[in-house]
Amino acid sequence: MEKVLSKKAFPQWVKKLESYTMYLPRKDGDFWNYEVIKNPEIIDLDYLNTVLSPKKIIFPQREVLLEFSTSNEEELKINEVLPEEAQSVIFGVRPCDAKALTLTDKVFGGDFKDPYYWKRRNSTALVGLACNTPPSPNCFCLSVDGSPHSKEGLDILITDLGDKYHAESFTKKGDDLLNLAKALFKNPTAKEKKDLEKIQAESKKKIQRQIKDTKKIPPKLKDMFDSPFWDEESLSCIRCGICTYLCPTCHCFDINDEVTSSSPIKGERVRTWDNCQFPDFTMHSSGHNPRPDKAARLRQRILHKFQYFVELYKNYQCTGCGRCISKCPVGIDIIEVLEKARDYGS
Amino acid sequence: MVNLEELKKEASQILKEGKVKYIIGFQRGSNGLLPVPAFIKNPKDVEKLVWDPTCVYNLTLFLQDEKRKKTKEKEPDERPVGIVVKGCDSRAINVLLQEEFIKRDDVYVLGVSCENTGVLDEKKLAKKLKGKKAKKVEFGANDDFVITTEDGNIKIAAQEVLAERCLECKAHFPVIYDVLIGEKTKRNVENPFKSLEKIESLPPEERWKFWKEQIEKCIRCYACRSVCPMCYCDECVADTINFVVTPDTSAEEKAQKIKWLEKSPVSSENFVYHFVRAIHLAGRCIDCGECERVCPLDIPVRFLNKKLEKEAKELFDYDVGFDPDKPSLVSSFKDDDPEDFIR
Repeated sequence: MEKVLSKKAFPQWVKKLESYTMYLPRKDGDFWNYEVIKNPEIIDLDYLNTVLSPKKIIFPQREVLLEFSTSNEEELKINEVLPEEAQSVIFGVRPCDAKALTLTDKVFGGDFKDPYYWKRRNSTALVGLACNTPPSPNCFCLSVDGSPHSKEGLDILITDLGDKYHAESFTKKGDDLLNLAKALFKNPTAKEKKDLEKIQAESKKKIQRQIKDTKKIPPKLKDMFDSPFWDEESLSCIRCGICTYLCPTCHCFDINDEVTSSSPIKGERVRTWDNCQFPDFTMHSSGHNPRPDKAARLRQRILHKFQYFVELYKNYQCTGCGRCISKCPVGIDIIEVLEKARDYGS
Repeated sequence: MVNLEELKKEASQILKEGKVKYIIGFQRGSNGLLPVPAFIKNPKDVEKLVWDPTCVYNLTLFLQDEKRKKTKEKEPDERPVGIVVKGCDSRAINVLLQEEFIKRDDVYVLGVSCENTGVLDEKKLAKKLKGKKAKKVEFGANDDFVITTEDGNIKIAAQEVLAERCLECKAHFPVIYDVLIGEKTKRNVENPFKSLEKIESLPPEERWKFWKEQIEKCIRCYACRSVCPMCYCDECVADTINFVVTPDTSAEEKAQKIKWLEKSPVSSENFVYHFVRAIHLAGRCIDCGECERVCPLDIPVRFLNKKLEKEAKELFDYDVGFDPDKPSLVSSFKDDDPEDFIR
């Protein structure tokens, strides 16, 4: 379904969706982040990319899996806590972040379908915002099979046409959202369709960064596990978790029991994000750590995204959002690392 | 003026003479305005060295890697590491010496002066340039920065785009060095704790609200800890395995270790992390401001450390990082130390 909505009517549409929990990027100081919105009047779709991707809504950093307690008879009670199936809409999802969710879908939707992830995923509609201008100077979606107006993973894609939005729905979830405010939407005219094509073509030209010959990288990495390359490239790494925690595709987690009362025993089993850049991520209880240093950890980040994931799922586990580049405290640039790896020893 | 050629010449010479095993400095990166750390072994590569207001990093952080590497080597190269330091970074060297984390012979300090100004706050500059992209930032002649943009050069008074900590810096030249490049400039800072005034003036409940909001944003990426030259502990209470496990560590020993905080990024656990870090930096933080710069969620971490720096000054007249031979604040006491705050 393809429609056009005047910008002025946008808040009215959002108002019609009141029965949904709605998330929108909000400015907090110098950066943007997703927040639940109550007042559609203050909606602003003129935003740069959010610090944390919408992954944090579908796969929250902290999630209770079950509660446990002992009653007076000392009988252990266990209670599974599944997320509420609240119908939600996330507005303004950038195409790279939507594509990233299609990648975490593969991970949480394998032989074991993770019920916590899918409860949220299935009840959430993603309304994307095409990137007419790149939201970050480090965007490189075109180099990893993405595009600034890709529909992958989205229910609706909105494109800014100046005084109006072009909105295209690709799924039933998307159609439902548009149908809730039928009167506000018009069918696009031939001129509007032409404008859209023009904007889409121009948007691709505006992306400043690219990886050349990305295809050559996965086969090259295959033979680089033992290369001294990783020692050299990781020299300036400071072992923080920014690159992975801000990544829209990273999905590793840890599970811990958080005891809130020891007598009677009461607590929760909690899943939290985990981070392959932390030293304790691979620490064995024997004290042996198979990834003992930052070189091994940087290698893991790169190989997981550009070799293992490609072998397993035929996709790069990177959508080119550029967050890890923009926010790295010491300027480690994944594009540079990949290109150096591609050319290493040749 | 700092003469970059002088720095390169010195660096090249000490490498050629074999005085140092390598040099840690700044070089241009592949992308963005800020440089990246350089680890230079070959005298030819000294050409890559840069020194300008974008050199914000505190490179003394990398002395931790060097030390860890050395302890693993059977026959370590005992020569010092050359390191480029600004005023604040040099105070970090002093604290590391005080605490005997490093020895004086471990480092060959290439001190560079901040030219009476300091380093850049990238966000302030971005606001100032209103969308224009800065390509290069250099020290100007009149306490200003010369910014090269797509459409020509602009001069901006350094005060307007300096990192907050530089506005409160008491010595924008190295206090310890083997070679000093540039001048020992002197600037009077009326109130080195001015940035704290606003938050200190808030009533406790509002201050609590402020910190709660800030700390709740934390995603525990630990970048503030990772970037800190003083956070060199092998074990940290913030990690799930908060002690060093070796094959000899018994199950009992493991079981006896206390889990101080959960991995969940909720306010109680986040507070424990940030408070533990702040307390452990009392009298040790040299205010390089890196913790705050790297925070992806813009949590004003520096305020916590600055507040403790102020306490150290007011209660014990202690200035951090000015004298490597003085005992450190937390490991020394005087009979007449104030104690009326102990209840």
